[in-house]
Amino acid sequence: MSAVIEIKDYTWRYLYSPNPALENINLTVHQGEFIGIIGPNGSGKTTLAYSLNGLIPGQYHGIKQGGIKVLGKDVESYPTGALQKSVGVVFSDPEAQFTTMTVEDELVFGMENLGMSIPEIRERLEWVVELTDLSPLMLKPPYEISGGQKQRVALAAVLAMRPPIMVLDEPTSMLDPISRRRIFEVLAKLKREQRNTIIVIEHSLENLVPLADRMVLLHNSHLLLEGETRQFFEQMDLLLEKGLFPPGIMQFFHYLKQQGRYDGYLPVTVAEAAEKLTSLLEPAQEGKQ
Amino acid sequence: MHKTLLGYVPDQSPIYAIHPFVKVYFLLIVSLFPLFITAPEWNFFIMLFTLALMWYSRVDVKILRIYAPMAISMGFIILLSYTVLGGVHPEYRLLTKPLGIPIYWERIRDATVVYFRILPMIATMVFFLSTSRERDVIVAMRSVKIPFVITYVFAMALRSAGMVLEDFGIVRQAEQARGFDPAGKSLAYKIRKYIMYMVPLFALSLRRTEEFTNALIARGYAFTGKASKVKRADYVLTHYTFRALDGVLVGIITITFIAILVLRYGFGYFGLDDSWFIIWAQSAL
Amino acid sequence: MTSPFIEVKHLVYRYPDGTLALDDINLTIDEGEMITFIGQNGSGKTTFSKCLNGLFKPTGGDVIVDGHNSKTTPIVEMVRRVGYVFQNPDHQLFNSTCWDEIAYGPRNIQLAEEEVKERVEEAAHVVGLDKSYFKEHPFFLPKGLRQRVAIASILALRPRVIIVDEPTTGQDAQQSREIMDFLVELNEEHGHAIIIITHDMPIVARYAKRVVALGRGHILADGPTAEVFSHPEILAQTFIEPPQITQLAQRTQDQGFSPGTLTVEEMIAQYQQLTRT
Repeated sequence: MSAVIEIKDYTWRYLYSPNPALENINLTVHQGEFIGIIGPNGSGKTTLAYSLNGLIPGQYHGIKQGGIKVLGKDVESYPTGALQKSVGVVFSDPEAQFTTMTVEDELVFGMENLGMSIPEIRERLEWVVELTDLSPLMLKPPYEISGGQKQRVALAAVLAMRPPIMVLDEPTSMLDPISRRRIFEVLAKLKREQRNTIIVIEHSLENLVPLADRMVLLHNSHLLLEGETRQFFEQMDLLLEKGLFPPGIMQFFHYLKQQGRYDGYLPVTVAEAAEKLTSLLEPAQEGKQ
Repeated sequence: MHKTLLGYVPDQSPIYAIHPFVKVYFLLIVSLFPLFITAPEWNFFIMLFTLALMWYSRVDVKILRIYAPMAISMGFIILLSYTVLGGVHPEYRLLTKPLGIPIYWERIRDATVVYFRILPMIATMVFFLSTSRERDVIVAMRSVKIPFVITYVFAMALRSAGMVLEDFGIVRQAEQARGFDPAGKSLAYKIRKYIMYMVPLFALSLRRTEEFTNALIARGYAFTGKASKVKRADYVLTHYTFRALDGVLVGIITITFIAILVLRYGFGYFGLDDSWFIIWAQSAL
Repeated sequence: MTSPFIEVKHLVYRYPDGTLALDDINLTIDEGEMITFIGQNGSGKTTFSKCLNGLFKPTGGDVIVDGHNSKTTPIVEMVRRVGYVFQNPDHQLFNSTCWDEIAYGPRNIQLAEEEVKERVEEAAHVVGLDKSYFKEHPFFLPKGLRQRVAIASILALRPRVIIVDEPTTGQDAQQSREIMDFLVELNEEHGHAIIIITHDMPIVARYAKRVVALGRGHILADGPTAEVFSHPEILAQTFIEPPQITQLAQRTQDQGFSPGTLTVEEMIAQYQQLTRT
């Protein structure tokens, strides 16, 4: 697998800010990987997202050390507008990212910017509308729909551009649980079919964890922990200490592990957890009888 | 119901058959008609005709009620400024002189002419706003090949207006939730309170500008011009086809406009002298 | 028995464009309750909440707050009883100093300046806003503090019921818990009834005593949190699913876990019970 993103000794400090927003970050992301990034607010997650698609250093003033390579090329060496074809970002505040008057125009805008033809646009539009279930909203102004619908539109608008690398900054913060799960189902589908590289920044871990190949913890501008998802959560005490709350089922199994009742990987889905818990309890209950 | 700039149009309406360009063309050209027509009865007819079109398009005509007080007070202001504030003109025909203020026939006549010119202009505007959406304006602009950048800047202005209105609604609710009740308060008080709305609206806009720019760049739109030299497909236009009916309507509007010009300047129609309304009013006063 | 503080009878609400948002809602809320409203985006949670404090007047039916019918009571009287904290603090901060911001409500209900002062100080104290911020412009405060100022400005009206719209959206886990702990404190120590509108199911599981699930303009479920979460099939109608720990307990009911399990701690306690020999 080839590396699509290489972050080397990367430090970024916004001008007029006393402390760096990111300090000494090293991270390599491979083609087709699904990475989850977690960390408290203010830990540098959004700065990292901006650094990947060139908003930093393009739009912001600050001081940079180290470097970021996307698809083998330095972020700065891309001509304006070119990097964004490779890296699509879905921002956390959907309100501000709408640039047009109707949901349909919104979805089409990015594709028009890429210079796609009308039949291509139509085909992709149908695909993305179906995938994100937006057809009843097509003619509404994006600022009049509900928060959750806005987030679906924001995701769809970037999906429609089909960038090989997608960065999603808290894409489901306003969604109800099932809509949230659906967004993650869409991401799972993309992960399977398209070999997209997907990076998701999230506070709500329950849906992220089953999909993520690897997890990254940012804390106070530093990359504190990184690892394959199940191994990552073995560091339960560190995560809890840093104010992150891993999914309930993982916390429960971590407790079982500490009590010596269970050894093995922490389960990532409810189905897996239920199966393991059942097999744990069965011998015990048989023993009681 | 479909939301328009000013109200709602039902799901079924003949207006949907019309290409947005025709709507914009109607607004731009028909609202010019009154400038070339002096006779009030003709302008009154244009207004009635526009209102009839609104009714035919199944716009909820009740929205006109909110314009009635405005139209009436505007009429008074025009009348007062022409008569009471009109000054002394010995050459005009004096009708009466209450409280030493001279009231001339010619002044009343001019006020009437101006007033009846404004009414159809407002009617065409209301007709357009209550049957069109922002998108119609954009589509109209794009279909006559106005450069994308201009259309886009215009669209962003419309969009931010929409967002500000949306915010305005929430801010007003937030004020009410804090016990603000303008009912029965003085106008000065209301104006002062309205200024307060500006603070959160301004704050919201500022916070959004940055993210809005980021979103544009992330969507592959570059202001530098290099990446934007891409030939744009104008996908949205594919929803609209300019049909024979649209051509006919544009033709009718154009021919009517030319006809009015020819009749006015070639043959002297629509002038003051042959206006039966003015002749009648002159003899009545 | 005393009558409930808020009584909603056959409430119907239509938007100006004719869409039916709420259809025959019946509900009572007592003083000192801690309730969450849950439901999918567009289920009517926010609309319903705005009917409770008179921002929206019912199209049909009645909302009676402390004996006042919202149809006939001026908004000023309603908001003294039911406060509403909007989701985005930027929509609700209009004054140039934090002091004026918090004093804005009490002044609107025409209290004497002395009483206003007392209430501002009290409200600021309750939300933990230091006096040094009184002269600051709310616009320049960080988001967490802006939210506190927004809550304080509602508290200063001393409403018996406070509705908070999605207080944890965009907050990280730690911040969410801090906000919720604060709302619990308002509820337990100051006696305010708190209504929270939220999508955050782990938060609901941990903090709510009563859950009202709304969907397509109706109340689908209303009861103690554990009981409502025990019926995933009803919740699914409004796009809600219980937190994973609850789902795990439901899938292992045969092993003896309670379908109303809400937190990891409860799960562990049950496990200890089940495996005690």
